[in-house]
Amino acid sequence: METTPEPQVPPPALDLDEVTVAYGPALALENIDGMVAPGEAVALIGPNGAGKSTLIKAILGLVPLAGGRISVLGRSPAAARRDVAYVPQADTLDPEFPISVGQVVLMGRYRRIGWLRRAKAADKEAARRALEQVGLADRARHRFGTLSGGQRQRVLLARAIAAEPRLLLLDEPFNGVDAVSEQALLDAIALLKQDGAAVVVSTHDLALAHLACEEVCLLNRRQYGFGPTQATLTPDRLRATYGGHALELRGDRVIVAHS
Amino acid sequence: MYQIFIEPFRFPFMARALAELMILGALAGTVGVLILLRRLAFMTDALTHTVFPGVVIGYLLSGEGGIFWGALIAGAATAVLLTLLTRHRAVTEDAALAVLLTTFFAVGVVLVSRESGYTADLTAFLFGRILTVTPAQLTQTLAVTALVIAMMVILRRPLLARSFDPEGARASGYRIGLLDLATNTVVALVVVASVRAVGTVLVIALLIVPAAAARVVSDRLALIVPIAAVLGAFAGWAGLAVSYDASIHHGLRLASGGTVVLVLIAGHLVALAAAAVIRRRPRPVRRAA
Repeated sequence: METTPEPQVPPPALDLDEVTVAYGPALALENIDGMVAPGEAVALIGPNGAGKSTLIKAILGLVPLAGGRISVLGRSPAAARRDVAYVPQADTLDPEFPISVGQVVLMGRYRRIGWLRRAKAADKEAARRALEQVGLADRARHRFGTLSGGQRQRVLLARAIAAEPRLLLLDEPFNGVDAVSEQALLDAIALLKQDGAAVVVSTHDLALAHLACEEVCLLNRRQYGFGPTQATLTPDRLRATYGGHALELRGDRVIVAHS
Repeated sequence: MYQIFIEPFRFPFMARALAELMILGALAGTVGVLILLRRLAFMTDALTHTVFPGVVIGYLLSGEGGIFWGALIAGAATAVLLTLLTRHRAVTEDAALAVLLTTFFAVGVVLVSRESGYTADLTAFLFGRILTVTPAQLTQTLAVTALVIAMMVILRRPLLARSFDPEGARASGYRIGLLDLATNTVVALVVVASVRAVGTVLVIALLIVPAAAARVVSDRLALIVPIAAVLGAFAGWAGLAVSYDASIHHGLRLASGGTVVLVLIAGHLVALAAAAVIRRRPRPVRRAA
């Protein structure tokens, strides 16, 4: 194999090239194409079952590709895992689990701490700072499940921040989140972007796509658009993506992109 | 008190039984916390049943000494089978388990029923024979304990991450399949080590009750684990002492395994009561300046 010359510019944080994922004979995603630069955020927008979660799993290297290629920070998804952090939906986690907020955030450091070593001061400091970034520094000793849904989502974001990721993946982070927590999430995401991390957010919330993301990917099994938010979120494209079904928007903050 | 709790253990066989039960109690209490966190109580119950035919076959092949190895093989086979079964959720987990456990258990019962001392043997397998623990058995128990504790210490972070958030753990690169196999193996090892002493039926109590009681009084893992271990060990001691005292001094024959479980249940009830009292205690009143 020939050696390729060292690239002069840093590789894109995420490069999707004709990505196709199949569950059995059914295609879950077909020919998804797009690129996300460091410091940029892209919103994955589409109805339930559109394949947003599947795309996130594919970027994490957790589902095999039936075709195409994904490169994360210039590497394969599996090889890049250390620099990628994933934020699941808080309400999928057991609120009775006996674990403190501080312990949850420290989990973001586990891969760095290793299996046997004790957590170093630097790890604890990173966890503390991450919790501060989402505005919950005073809750470190509370049990995770005693927090509100929005606060739990912020704790999970803090866990991801503590891992110092260069690519952050969030699965529907704004679902059922109150306004205060929503703002805290947006602020923390903005800060991460400033530090050069790329962000992928799946959401149905067009308003938030406008607020947090430079780019959107319209998705419903196949791609209905990928590009700058204003230009891509057109009523025609949205109608095509959602197949004519009503859009799920929150009543008071509806922003449908005007063409 | 001295007469009940210390005196009986002057006899070497009682001292060995005490050591065996306290080690198993502490070990099962610790592993029980993992079972609780992973919600594997039913899986554990299935495991205790599937180990049963292994116990019987081991005994038929080479007597008392074969029980451990028979149980070990059956336990290991079940741990692997369960990991595979629950990995692909084609069958609902609990239905698959229910089929598996009754099948294995029936095989065990059929095998025992061919023996002449049917009832006595069956009783021993189901409820254990704690008073005949040999030094060799004690050594086996210690070896299993060391192995299980080592696995739990090494895997504590991955196991915690996987129990709390399986998707997140997988995303950060942990091999969930291997972690689940390790979990099932740990549980199987404890069941195997305990089965001769307390029998297949009562192992489940040793594993589940201390952890459940500890969870009632605390929601911090750093406390739950030691509380469960101490409660398990204490129940072994108290149960053994009480059943001995009742049998010798009061002419009341109490099976030691069953007494241990009853002490555990009593501990759980105390924990529930304590938790209720703590919750009801009025918040500290702010002092007037």
